[in-house]
Amino acid sequence: MSRPSHISPSRAGIGLRTPHYQAMLQTRPPVSFLEVHSENFFGDGGQPLRYLTRFREDYPVSSHGVGLSLGSADPVNPVHLQKLKRLVDLIEPTLVSEHLCWVGVDGRYLNDLLPLPYTEESLAHVVDQVDRVQCYLGRRILVENVSSYLQFVESTIPEWEFVREVARRAGCGILLDVNNIHVNAVNHGFDAHTFIDAIEPGSVGEIHLAGFQDTGELLIDTHGDLVSDPVWQLYRHALARLGPVPTLIEWDIDIPPLEALLGEAAKADRMLAECVAAQHAA
Amino acid sequence: MLRDLQAAVAAALLGDAAAAADRVVGGTLSPTRRLEIYRHNVMSNLRGALRDIFPVVERIVGDAFFMQAAGQFIRDTPSRSGDLNGFGAEWPAFLAGYAHAAELPYLADVARLEWAWHECFHAADAGALDLHRLAAVSAEEHETLRFRLHPAVRLLASPHPLLRIWQVNQPGYDGELAIDWDAGGDALLLRREGDAIVIEALQAGAFRFLSALSCGAKLEAAATAAAAADEAFNLQGFLLDSVQSAVIVDFERGSP
Repeated sequence: MSRPSHISPSRAGIGLRTPHYQAMLQTRPPVSFLEVHSENFFGDGGQPLRYLTRFREDYPVSSHGVGLSLGSADPVNPVHLQKLKRLVDLIEPTLVSEHLCWVGVDGRYLNDLLPLPYTEESLAHVVDQVDRVQCYLGRRILVENVSSYLQFVESTIPEWEFVREVARRAGCGILLDVNNIHVNAVNHGFDAHTFIDAIEPGSVGEIHLAGFQDTGELLIDTHGDLVSDPVWQLYRHALARLGPVPTLIEWDIDIPPLEALLGEAAKADRMLAECVAAQHAA
Repeated sequence: MLRDLQAAVAAALLGDAAAAADRVVGGTLSPTRRLEIYRHNVMSNLRGALRDIFPVVERIVGDAFFMQAAGQFIRDTPSRSGDLNGFGAEWPAFLAGYAHAAELPYLADVARLEWAWHECFHAADAGALDLHRLAAVSAEEHETLRFRLHPAVRLLASPHPLLRIWQVNQPGYDGELAIDWDAGGDALLLRREGDAIVIEALQAGAFRFLSALSCGAKLEAAATAAAAADEAFNLQGFLLDSVQSAVIVDFERGSP
C-alpha cells in the first residue's frame, strides 16, 4: 500500500508527541498530517523510528527541524545534514522545515532558537545556506520565522522583509508561525498585520499556531497552552491574504490529552473552511 | 560581522549576560535583561536534556545539586551538536571528577549506566541469527568464528551494586529500599526486547565472553577469556541463550 503524501491546504494537522502514541494508534484521529521534530528521529533505529514508520503508513508527515542552525556563521553541520537526509529518505515527508535562526557558533551549540541580526550580510549568508541544504536534500524546504525577546543594534532590515527575501532569493518556502509574529509584535512594538501583509501569497507552505505565556515582562513562546484569541484573529487575517494553507497546532510542554490538540485542530479547520467558502463566494 | 556578533552572544549566554549588552536594543527592558531571558532558556533546555537522559542521577542527588552540577558541566563542556540527544556523553566523566560528588563514589557509574541505556534506546535494529546457518558450520571452523553483537547491546562493569541502585530509584518502585553496599560489583548487559530495554546482571565468565566478542575476538579467544574468569562458564548454553535473546545476531568465518 502506498503512503499518503498529499496534505490538503484546507485542513489542520497536529504535532506527534510520545505521550499520544497509544491514543493515536487506538483512535486514528482524522487529522490531515502529523508533524515531528526531525532530531527526535536521528537515531540509528529502535522504538522512535519504529513508531514513526508505523504512523507514516496512515498520515502524511511534516519533518520540522530545530537544530540545523541555518543562520549560524558556521557552515551547516555536515553530520546533522546527513542525518536529516537519512530521515527524509526513510520517511518521505511531504514538508521539511527549519528555523530562520542560529543555534550555535564556532562548533559550540546553545540549542536554542536564537534570532539573527537582520542585515544584508546575514541575508546573503542564510540564502547561501538554504541553497546548500536544498541541493543536498534534493528538495525544497520551508523556513520558519522565530519568536524573539531581543533585537540587535546592527539590524537594518525589518524582520518581515528579511523572511520574504530569504524565500524569494533561495527559492524556498515559508513556514509562517502566526504565534511568533504576535509574540514579536508585542515584544518589539510593531503591528503584526504589517508582517503578514509583507509576505507573498504562494510562498507560504505551512502555518504554525501555538500558545504563549505572558510573564508581564514579555510574551514567551512556550508552546505550552491553547492558542490565544489575538493569534486566532491574526490567523484569520493571514488566511484572508494567503488563502488556505496547511496549518499545524504545536504543543511541546505540559502536553495535554490528545483531545485538547484535536479540539484546536478542529478550530483551525473551521477557519480554513470559512476561508475556502469566502474564496468561492468572491 | 555575523560571526563576531554570534560569538559575543554565545559567550554572554554561557557566561555573563551583560557582556553582549552593547549589541542589543533596549527599550522597555534593558539589553542585559533580554540576554538573561535567553541565558535562562539556554541553561534550562540543556539541563532539561541532561534530566531526560539521567533521571536516576537526578533522583539520587536531588534538584538543587543537579542544577548546580549541570550548570558547571554545561559551561565546561558545551554542547557540540544541534541534536540534543547527543548531549551528555561526557557527563559521567564530569561527575567522576566533580569534587562535590566525592562522597557518592558510585554516581559516575550510575550516569554511565543511564548513558548506556540512552545509546541502547537509539541504536540500530538487527534481525535475529538463524540457528540453521550456525549449524551448517563445520566443527573445525568453530574456533575461528567471529560473532557480532546486536548494535543495541551495551556492557558495563562497576565495583558498586549498580543494578540494585538503579532498581530502587525507578519511578513507581515501592519495594525494600536498603542497598547492601558489601554485595560486590555488577557486570551488566543492556539489550532491547521489543519496546523495552532489559538490564541483566551477568556472571563474570559471560561478561568476559561478550566483552571479548564486542572487541572482535574469535570464539576460541573469547571462550578462553571466559573460562579464565569463571571455570564453570558453560559456553554452549550461553551461546545458545545469546542467540535466542538476540544479543548475538550474526557471525562470520575468520581465517584460521
